[in-house]
Amino acid sequence: MADSPVTQHGANSGEVPAEATPQEQKQMEQAYAQMKRKMSMAEIGRKIKHKVMVLSGKGGVGKSTVSTGLALALAQQGLKVGILDIDITGPNVPKMMGLDGRRLHVESGRIHPAQGHLGVKVISMAFLLDNEDTPVVWRGPIKLGAIQQFIGDVEWGDLDYLIIDFPPGTSDEPLTVAQSLPDIDGMVIVTTPQDVALLDSRKSITFSESLKVPVLGVVENMSGYTINGKATANSEVQIAGPAGKTLKATADGEGNFSITIDIFKEGGGKSTADEFGVPFLGALPFDPGFVRGGDDGVHRIVSEPEGPSAVAFAKVVAALQDQIVDSSGSGLEII
Amino acid sequence: MSEEMPNLTRFERRDVDVALTYDDGSEFVITYDDLRHACPCAKCSPMRNEDEASKTLRRQVEAHPKEKPQVRTVGNYALGFEWSVGCSSGIYRFERIWDLANRRDPDNGRPYVHGAW
Ligand SMILES: Nc1ncnc2c1ncn2[C@@H]1O[C@H](COP(=O)(O)OP(=O)(O)OP(=O)(O)O)[C@@H](O)[C@H]1O
Ligand SMILES: [Mg+2]
Repeated sequence: MADSPVTQHGANSGEVPAEATPQEQKQMEQAYAQMKRKMSMAEIGRKIKHKVMVLSGKGGVGKSTVSTGLALALAQQGLKVGILDIDITGPNVPKMMGLDGRRLHVESGRIHPAQGHLGVKVISMAFLLDNEDTPVVWRGPIKLGAIQQFIGDVEWGDLDYLIIDFPPGTSDEPLTVAQSLPDIDGMVIVTTPQDVALLDSRKSITFSESLKVPVLGVVENMSGYTINGKATANSEVQIAGPAGKTLKATADGEGNFSITIDIFKEGGGKSTADEFGVPFLGALPFDPGFVRGGDDGVHRIVSEPEGPSAVAFAKVVAALQDQIVDSSGSGLEII
Repeated sequence: MSEEMPNLTRFERRDVDVALTYDDGSEFVITYDDLRHACPCAKCSPMRNEDEASKTLRRQVEAHPKEKPQVRTVGNYALGFEWSVGCSSGIYRFERIWDLANRRDPDNGRPYVHGAW
């Protein structure tokens, strides 16, 4: 470590200091590195205005899709955004952000994020892997140490939002992050309308209490499939939906219409939110474009910045921003 | 980045512009046209990179009816404006509003490249 003040020989040779044994030397260096990391974490805390964790109980419900979507929707507003992908076993954020195959970029001992779509800064555990197809199995302490290092050593610069994507389940990672990173605004819980996922998101909400990080709200993912079509301008359109329901829409002046079909049970996320007294941030449609985007590296919000999914994300983001209101901003009188 | 930005205490929407008061007593006016032309969203920003596109954006903005926007605070760091027509996506950080108030280029002369902030 070049800038370590712990030098091998007494620098002020006037007063002959007791020479440290190599072991003591090592301990001092470690303590110094730890202290430096702590300080930089505090600084990161200050330079990043808002930190949001994205969690779910069950895997595969769309945390990474939601994390990247939130980040991009915030970036669309012109904000400075970063994503920290904590998932060591199956990190897929880089792929979704068009950064497949990137390696960690280290300069003067600091880790520099890669920049994905819309300038979103990305740090992923995937940047550490040699081969993305072989998920690493990390032992607990190594994994948590790596997370702390990622938090302390990344040069994010000034950010308005840092979105933190987690592996599924309520495990050690969120705890480590919550303990290392000061002033986390809260967590977003992703759920799908199915019951199992619902049960698990309930578990996440209980978990938030033990972490002492508030729930900013619940997002219901894959909640309906939207079809778009053309009909006579201003005419009413009817479609036979699931369970014998008739779905209606009215075409606009140009004859465009869209109808959302609830594939699973509707409103599951909303009822979990209501039951636990946490905000419901909104529902995101089932959109095959997300799967494509995950494969070809062009996120849905980028490929269709004004499509229904981008619009749904913008709504979720607005609801999220409403939750993150700081009292210090309230000194403003708007007339 | 302006180092000593005072806090915005009053945002008064008038017919064609907004009157701003800061806690150091300073007062400014920003026209709605200027405000809208400076939209920081990912769609409007790149248009300001080139003179021609920037003028087009300006003309689009000026063609909109003069109306008072709905204003929402975003956290403690920004404002959002909702207009009945045109782009309402941009989130204006207080630094940006301060720059506009002081007739400074809020983009700092930098062309907008995704991520080059
Ligand atoms: N709204 C959606 N519409 C269609 N497909 C979706 C949607 N959301 C996510 N998917 C797809 O579902 C799969 C899982 O999504 P994603 O990777 O975001 O979930 P995850 O919760 O992060 O998973 P893991 O628990 O493994 O980290 C992906 O193939 C993704 O493209
Ligand atoms: Mg994931």
